[in-house]
Amino acid sequence: MRVLPRIVTVLATGASVVALFAACSADAPTGVAAAAEAPKADLVARDIVTRRLTPEQYENIIADVFGPAITLGGRFEPELRMGGLLAVGSGTVSVTAAGMEQYDVMARKIATQVVDTRHRKILIPCQPKQDKAPDDACVAKFMERVGRLIYRRPLTGMETKAYVKAAHVATEKTQDFYSGLSLSLGALLASPKFIFRQEMVEPDPDHPGQFRLDAYAKASRLSFFLWNAGPDLQLLDAAEKGTLNTDQGLAHEVDRMLASRRLETGVRAFFTDNFGFDEFALLTKDAALFPKFSAQVAADAQEQTLKTIVDLLLTNRGDYRDIFTTKKTFMTQELGAIYRVPVINDGPNGAPDTWKPFEFSADDPRGGILTQVAFTSLHSPPGRGSPTLRGKALREVILCQKVPAPPAAVNFNIVQDTNNQVYKTARQRLNAHATESMCTGCHKIIDPMGLALENFDGAGAYRTTENGASLDTSGALDGKPFNGAAELGRVIHDHPATASCLVNRLSSYAVGQSLANSDPWLTESQKFFAANGYRLPDLMRAIATSDGFYRVKPPATQTAAAP
Amino acid sequence: MSERRAAILSLLCLAGLYSTAAAAETRTFVIGYFGQATYSQDSDCPAGLNPDITVQYIKNLHDLGLPPQRVAEISKGGGEGNAALNELMQYRGRVDGKPVSAYTYPAAVKDPMLHPLVGNVAYGFNLDGKDGPNNFKDPETGETGVDDALARAFGCMRPFRGSLAGRPTYWAWAWGQLKDSQPAWLISISGQDLSKDGDVTVTFDRALHYLKSNIDGTPRADTTYRVDPDPRSHNVLKGRVKNGVVELTEHSAFRMLQNPMVVNDFQLQNTHMRLKLKPDGALEGLLGGYQLWADIYSGFASGAPAMEICITGDIPGLYYLLKKNADALPDPKTGENMGISTAYYLEAVPAFVVSADGKLVAGP
Repeated sequence: MRVLPRIVTVLATGASVVALFAACSADAPTGVAAAAEAPKADLVARDIVTRRLTPEQYENIIADVFGPAITLGGRFEPELRMGGLLAVGSGTVSVTAAGMEQYDVMARKIATQVVDTRHRKILIPCQPKQDKAPDDACVAKFMERVGRLIYRRPLTGMETKAYVKAAHVATEKTQDFYSGLSLSLGALLASPKFIFRQEMVEPDPDHPGQFRLDAYAKASRLSFFLWNAGPDLQLLDAAEKGTLNTDQGLAHEVDRMLASRRLETGVRAFFTDNFGFDEFALLTKDAALFPKFSAQVAADAQEQTLKTIVDLLLTNRGDYRDIFTTKKTFMTQELGAIYRVPVINDGPNGAPDTWKPFEFSADDPRGGILTQVAFTSLHSPPGRGSPTLRGKALREVILCQKVPAPPAAVNFNIVQDTNNQVYKTARQRLNAHATESMCTGCHKIIDPMGLALENFDGAGAYRTTENGASLDTSGALDGKPFNGAAELGRVIHDHPATASCLVNRLSSYAVGQSLANSDPWLTESQKFFAANGYRLPDLMRAIATSDGFYRVKPPATQTAAAP
Repeated sequence: MSERRAAILSLLCLAGLYSTAAAAETRTFVIGYFGQATYSQDSDCPAGLNPDITVQYIKNLHDLGLPPQRVAEISKGGGEGNAALNELMQYRGRVDGKPVSAYTYPAAVKDPMLHPLVGNVAYGFNLDGKDGPNNFKDPETGETGVDDALARAFGCMRPFRGSLAGRPTYWAWAWGQLKDSQPAWLISISGQDLSKDGDVTVTFDRALHYLKSNIDGTPRADTTYRVDPDPRSHNVLKGRVKNGVVELTEHSAFRMLQNPMVVNDFQLQNTHMRLKLKPDGALEGLLGGYQLWADIYSGFASGAPAMEICITGDIPGLYYLLKKNADALPDPKTGENMGISTAYYLEAVPAFVVSADGKLVAGP
């Protein structure tokens, strides 16, 4: 029997809403749609953030609008990680001149493909009266249809008129309707209105004096959060009709989106960002020391962790904390060689590896994503493992605790001397290194956790010794002792910061801003998460349906004009 | 067996994937290098090495009876010269005075009289139990009476000279071609306790998949291979492990299908083996026996003329070296030896081996 909190009373006083939660013991279905109502806390209005589309979001929108066969053929600007998330950094980045050129190149290539003879019959909803002459009506029809999806809102009359005029002039010059249309579409795709997620606000009629996102901005925020893509037609329709601004209408759309297979795309995008998997693009391993670690292993390692998470949290609606203890995962033949487990590839020679479900035995030292190749290899230098980097990542990524940067002029010679015959193990080397007073403080909080993972070398392969010396993987995290990676996973599982960190990161990811732990919206979400069995889809629903997700400060100009 | 492996195997056992009929301990490997075992020494060829192909071709042109001026013209090279040379060399065989392929009809080519190795140290096995002037002493075991006529035949051909660590050019090239284009070869060694002396069963199989390599080109350990059910490449050999070295106690025939570029059907008779179980889990050592020399020759001929020019040197010359140094398997009618004693060196890394029907044989 599950206990679900339910709103029993809502008191609204001025700008604040106080929600009272009470438990009820009624039997309830376990699906997402039947999950508890979103928590309602004292609302903190947040700044409006204009975010640049991530490469994946750009790709997803193009694929949604024009189909997956359309290739991009360009290069994206580097992303910026802030507060542990690229999603937060995306609110502070701009586009360089070179980057704009790339967006322009991509826009032109996409537009060219859309109007080519293979795609035009499918993607363009009308045929021009003449192939060599302008057809404003056809262009307007196409632009209004496509522009609504690309800009995530209807084009204004001015905008439609401008794009029609551009196509008209270009057609006259090129004497080809489709060339003219392509040039105009290219301009639409290169527009900052597409590349940036600009959020429009409006006065909140339910809370006089306050502001909220307008319905289209709300649809976008929702869609990028749950699907990592722009809103679909149904969601835009809900925005247009205004139903998205009602609790019932919003819940309906959120439940529809949560039930969609596209939720997996959104969940993958969040964890890819949260775990810093973009760093794999720069990850190198010393081939002489880790010859098995190929580019394919790196790709498979990321996918393994994501598949583990999706399987546990979405397919099986499991407890989020179990990702640190689960024995269930997936393997490819390439990964099998690192894990030293049998995985047969059934395809012909040269065929891509196939994924197979795999379960480690109960007494296997592996269990949970921290013992997977993705985590252990990503947080290791090219030539060795690193308890310090791994411990730091655990503190910062999993527990949301800030670890100060190392002081300048630190001597790392002993730590990096992996062939040292006096200090044979990393623990011994770190103990010697930490005698330097400036180092002791930080190493005390990060090394014990990292040392628990010393059974995994820099490529994530299992080992029991280093330089012939046995490894000591015991330690303690905030007073909780452990011996080895599996026990560390259990301690992380039970650590109160583990779940609250996830809520913080997911909420920050959703709004594109770093949130303070004191934020009442966050606090209520954390309580909700704990009370509902740490189910990720329920948490996503709670965030997506909460007022706090959409509550924004007035636009700067209006603030300035306020008496 | 580690707890970890035991756990994996018990899981597979539960899933019906593990044969309970397996021996107490089985180790499985995939071969990561296979080539002739060579032990070239400076004193092996007192008359020097046989000439490189460019020099040999000039000699061959003279042997064909071409006027010296024409030989000089052709020898200058260039497009026309090379084309003429290639044509002449490719068809330097003569049957009833008419040109024929030198590689299809090597006996129709005049013997270039390439000389064999003179030294008396080579890897291998005493296959016939006898010792004589043509036998060698094994540099590793000190065993005398070693039969390795293949080493004698090719020992003064530069592409076939080398050591176990410094692989001969031809064999290194051949392995480079084979490993990425032919199914891998698998070895399974089973016994009660492979860390102790005792009887073992050694099984050679061909896999369905090619060898997997690391990013540095070395063979990838701990990968899983499925056995090809074709019985022609299934060899079960009785042996014994002593001091960590596996040797055969029964010297039966051996057969593995291989890439046609080298030997399309690798067969040995009176098979001998000496494989070391290395502390790091790898395996290395020798596999030898009598091989039909015509099979070896056909491997060279199939790649001619490119192989002759780029890799091996004079292919009809190799034919005569094989024929003249053959030391076993006499033809019942003619008495001519059809077999030649050989010793091959192999390296293998641990691998998981799955039978054709999906049962795990064993793993590292």
